[in-house]
Amino acid sequence: MSTFEVDLHVNGSRRQLDVKAEETLLDVLHDRMGMSDVRYGCGEGVCGTCTVLIDGDPVSACLLLAVQAAGREITTLRGLEGSAPDGLHPLQRTMLQLGGSQCGFCTPGVILTAVSLGRRNPTATRDEIRHELVGNLCRCTGYTKIIDAIETYLGELGTGTIDAH
Amino acid sequence: MLTDAVVRTSTGRVVGQRHAHHDFIDKVKGTMLYAADHQPPGMLHGRVIRSTVPSARIVSIDLGAARDLPGVAAILVADDVPHNSLIVRASGGLGELAIEMPILASDRVRYTGEPIALVAAETQQIADHAAELVVITYDELTGVFDPLGAMEAESPLVHDEGNVLVNWHIARGDAQLGFARADVVVEGEYVTQLVEHAYLEPETGVAWIEDDVVTIRASTQVIEHAVEIARILGLPSNKVRVVAAYMGGGFGGKEDMTVEPFLALLAWSTRRPVRMIWDRQESLAASTKRHPMVMRYKTGATSDGRLTAQQVEIIGDAGAYPYLSARIVFAAAVVACGPYQIADVDVRSLAVFTNNVPTSAFRGFGAMQVTFAYESQMDRLAEALHLDPAELRRRNFLSKGDVIPTGETLQTVVAVGETLDRALARLGELPVPSAPHKVVGRGFACNMQPYGRTIWFRDQASAWLTLQADGSLLIRSGVTDLGAGQAASLCQIASEVLGVPLAMVSVYIGDTALTPPAGGTFATRQLYMSGNATLAAATDLRGRLDPVAAQLLGCAATDLDYVDGRVLAIGGGSLGPELGLSLAELVSECARRGVDTSILTVWHADVGTFDPVLGQGDTFPDYTYGTHATDVEVDTDTGEVKVLRYIAVHDVGRAINPMRVEGQIQGGAMQGIGYALTEEIVLDQGVNNSTLFTNYLIPNASDYPDIEAEVVESGEGRGPFGARGIGEPPIGPSAPALANAITNAIGARPTRLPMTPERVLGLIDTTRGKSWNHK
Amino acid sequence: MASAPFEYLAPSTFAEAIEALGEYGDAAVILAGGQSLVPMLNLRLVQPGIVIDINGVPNDGPVANGGWLTLPALTRHAEILSDPLVAVAAPMLVDAVHHVGNVRVRNRGTVGGSLAHADPTSEIGAAALCLGGEVVLTAASGSRTVPVDDLFVSYLTTSIAPGELLTELRLPALNGRSGVSFVEMVRRTSDFAIVAVAALVELEADASTVKRASVALSGVSDRPRLADSSLTDELIGQELPYARLRSLGAEIAARFEPPDDVHASASYRLRLIEVLTARALQQAMDRARS
Repeated sequence: MSTFEVDLHVNGSRRQLDVKAEETLLDVLHDRMGMSDVRYGCGEGVCGTCTVLIDGDPVSACLLLAVQAAGREITTLRGLEGSAPDGLHPLQRTMLQLGGSQCGFCTPGVILTAVSLGRRNPTATRDEIRHELVGNLCRCTGYTKIIDAIETYLGELGTGTIDAH
Repeated sequence: MLTDAVVRTSTGRVVGQRHAHHDFIDKVKGTMLYAADHQPPGMLHGRVIRSTVPSARIVSIDLGAARDLPGVAAILVADDVPHNSLIVRASGGLGELAIEMPILASDRVRYTGEPIALVAAETQQIADHAAELVVITYDELTGVFDPLGAMEAESPLVHDEGNVLVNWHIARGDAQLGFARADVVVEGEYVTQLVEHAYLEPETGVAWIEDDVVTIRASTQVIEHAVEIARILGLPSNKVRVVAAYMGGGFGGKEDMTVEPFLALLAWSTRRPVRMIWDRQESLAASTKRHPMVMRYKTGATSDGRLTAQQVEIIGDAGAYPYLSARIVFAAAVVACGPYQIADVDVRSLAVFTNNVPTSAFRGFGAMQVTFAYESQMDRLAEALHLDPAELRRRNFLSKGDVIPTGETLQTVVAVGETLDRALARLGELPVPSAPHKVVGRGFACNMQPYGRTIWFRDQASAWLTLQADGSLLIRSGVTDLGAGQAASLCQIASEVLGVPLAMVSVYIGDTALTPPAGGTFATRQLYMSGNATLAAATDLRGRLDPVAAQLLGCAATDLDYVDGRVLAIGGGSLGPELGLSLAELVSECARRGVDTSILTVWHADVGTFDPVLGQGDTFPDYTYGTHATDVEVDTDTGEVKVLRYIAVHDVGRAINPMRVEGQIQGGAMQGIGYALTEEIVLDQGVNNSTLFTNYLIPNASDYPDIEAEVVESGEGRGPFGARGIGEPPIGPSAPALANAITNAIGARPTRLPMTPERVLGLIDTTRGKSWNHK
Repeated sequence: MASAPFEYLAPSTFAEAIEALGEYGDAAVILAGGQSLVPMLNLRLVQPGIVIDINGVPNDGPVANGGWLTLPALTRHAEILSDPLVAVAAPMLVDAVHHVGNVRVRNRGTVGGSLAHADPTSEIGAAALCLGGEVVLTAASGSRTVPVDDLFVSYLTTSIAPGELLTELRLPALNGRSGVSFVEMVRRTSDFAIVAVAALVELEADASTVKRASVALSGVSDRPRLADSSLTDELIGQELPYARLRSLGAEIAARFEPPDDVHASASYRLRLIEVLTARALQQAMDRARS
């Protein structure tokens, strides 16, 4: 059994820990670092509940070995900067106001995927938003209010009301 | 339509508002802690070892190598379970067989995935390895995998008691006379498939021993299983505590016990905390599913489109154990005729054992499958009568005061016609096909779905409200929250009555030790039950506060208004200050006078009895009605169905939180669309071929249009403020609406779900005189 | 479920990776994007002795040179979608990758990993076949170039020899009068193809007459397959109406015995081959002429 000492940079803070080769980033973030916003849903990379951003891009934490994430910038939902006084990211606020969350289990992955989309393509259409989210399954909302929230958020980005941080 | 509607409240400062409070905030922040997120120190990891064959005698179980694996803390088999038997009498003993289900199979397995052994180890990796090392030898038996086959005399028996778990009969009038009166009779057979709840959070929990009490914090809809868990462990009920975490979805799949008894056994045996998370693949393979049904319908009507008779036979595949099958096929029977007035009705509804994975509760609870059948029948009948399908329905809709096939009289307004009119109006013109090889079609379907438990269970729920010294409010309720806002709605109800701002209301839920019983979240019962309990408690509390406030303000109690944390005298009191009292001041005065501001109220639902021999009696408290309408485009070369528009309208009586109501409607409709078009657990001789999440096709964000939800508020329902339950109802109409639209597009009728491109192409072939051996 | 234990090595050059492959033999698996391998590890379906992670090997990105587009094995799907060079030189590959997985799969998945995994429904496999691509297989003793058609052997099986590593995909550049199409039918967007068809049509200098046509398919066999060239050659020099393309599609379908699975029967796949092949050829021809 191989063990590796790795530096994990999660949400702006650094942590050094020993990981086994076969430990996934999901295992380490959720079970060992208390990042409960990164969730097991399938282990196949299909459902999107373990989505994290690696150097800004969405990745399935269940399909990345923790050793592979060493030294990379890992962002979970809780690492999104909130600029407003309520501490919420602008997309968190539109998700809240427009009811984009029900059971909430898919919410972190949905928000991270959409924030990444906003950085790459802030003028994404409703159809482009839908296509970007194919890998973030939601069983509660029927997606309509999620898409509403993302569309509203991108609209705010477009008018310069907020930044795509 | 709504002439007899009554709006029972004229307020609505909080109720009726789109509040995004409470759990929503934790969810968008990612700070909600689900069942897997508590990790007590020293926690072990559990795993269930399951049967790999559908029907067999267990010859031997070799645990040697697994026990020797370093890091394995416990391996348990049937002999280690103090009371290894569970008898579920889902209908309360009204006629189903009493079948024992072992917690762990000892000598016999009846389905692939049946639990045989449990392991707990220091890491999940060791537990998984140990599970691989357990060697189980089987002597395979002939199984039966089709409920129709299981009803035949020579079929292998799944249980010695017989393969038919229950056979309900509901009859009113004389169906044969009704058919004799009919000018047109249409018949149809409809087949539905096995489907999985597929909540994003799999079955999960953590158990530990605290003060010699087995404490289980799990993703469960029903904390009341604590009693059964205690029985399994051979302990008195006070030695088991169940705490419900906020769920990552439930949909009925966490209504029966899942991980709880296994966690309890492992924690009790090791005296250490244990976590168990069912793998997604394990959940797909072995968790309970929705009943596949074969439904045979015969419907008669006069030439002017009046329904005269309906005869229905429903055969549901219960899988290998009873679970809640008896009650599910009962619900199917009660609403088998849908929201229509039919004088002569004969309904038979059976649950039959097979060696398939067991089926049990799933949003819609039997009422969903029959919607596919009765709404397909209505369109068939409209075609036979050359009547507009909407007009045919309008001529037959139930109304308040009508008697349904069980002999019960409907006590609230039936606004199904309003939902139909609104849905069709919203669709507008039918679009034109986008290519020469495509055709378009329109369809709709109406439904009725019970809310509340079958009423012979004497349902009750309680709520405990405490108005604190600073004017903040605590609500304690045994309710569990599936993600639909069950807890949050209680806050809105209490806030409406007591004027406590939502930010100063906290709700504590789902704990058998600390919250008063609410009876589980299922059957679309919690708004009705705990909502009414909370409303009653808040009203009772007002009854204590009002005399004190009225005296302080110098006004009549009826002139008090509770708003924004204050109590005011409407029009100004003779004594009190202009701005009235703060709730904190009022509580302080109550304390001085010895008036208790904490109150526990129990709310009782109607009770009644049902006679299973006559097939008549009291069944459900009330129903929620709705209509879905859709436009589809079908590719006639591939059979692919594209949903162009989708409208879903339901009468919810009164929307406590319209945003959450719309969310329920949208999510339910989308689950229904998945059921209609893509979802199926494919079993081959009892072996599950759909155990990967990549193969079990729940809808994604890109393949369907927006669900355009519309809320009708008739003002009349049996929940608080006239609300009706909306958890289950929106899942029902999707499949028949889409089936009717596809039929309208291609000229041939799908009668089997899911309506895959392959099956649709096969139907298109039949319209071209071709036949083709498709799946 | 948690993966069984394994050793882990992260070489920084292909040469080191190949050396490790030689050392560990059958016990080793190569980890590229990990979007197929890691699920199999998570489900304990694969229990290797050692995982050789090649993600640390520098990736210089696609290069166009001498009539070929060269994609290093570690070219990620997302890179294919964003690289202007690929957009010009291999638009079919871009079309194909649009159908691959979700955004997370495309951020990690690699062209080399996809080809070496040899999934019978692989979109990249069909595109590479249709375009007449070749792969470079590198061993300690040197490299060899193998047509993609010879790479795929059967279900999840390739002709990559022990000790060899797939290091590049090379795609021939198309002439200026060519049109491509990639169509597929899936039960749910982003999932495995039921049938996918890649079609290429090259025209003569008159910009009208078909000079060369090629069709490749996924989901129709135990591996991505080229349609029989004797059938696609029927297009050469011909002006075929859509109805004739359908019958050509039917003839191509008749050469396959597609799989039967939970998503579709073999006979439905045959129907799809006929329809999708005709649609792909029509679109490729229309694009070539426009």
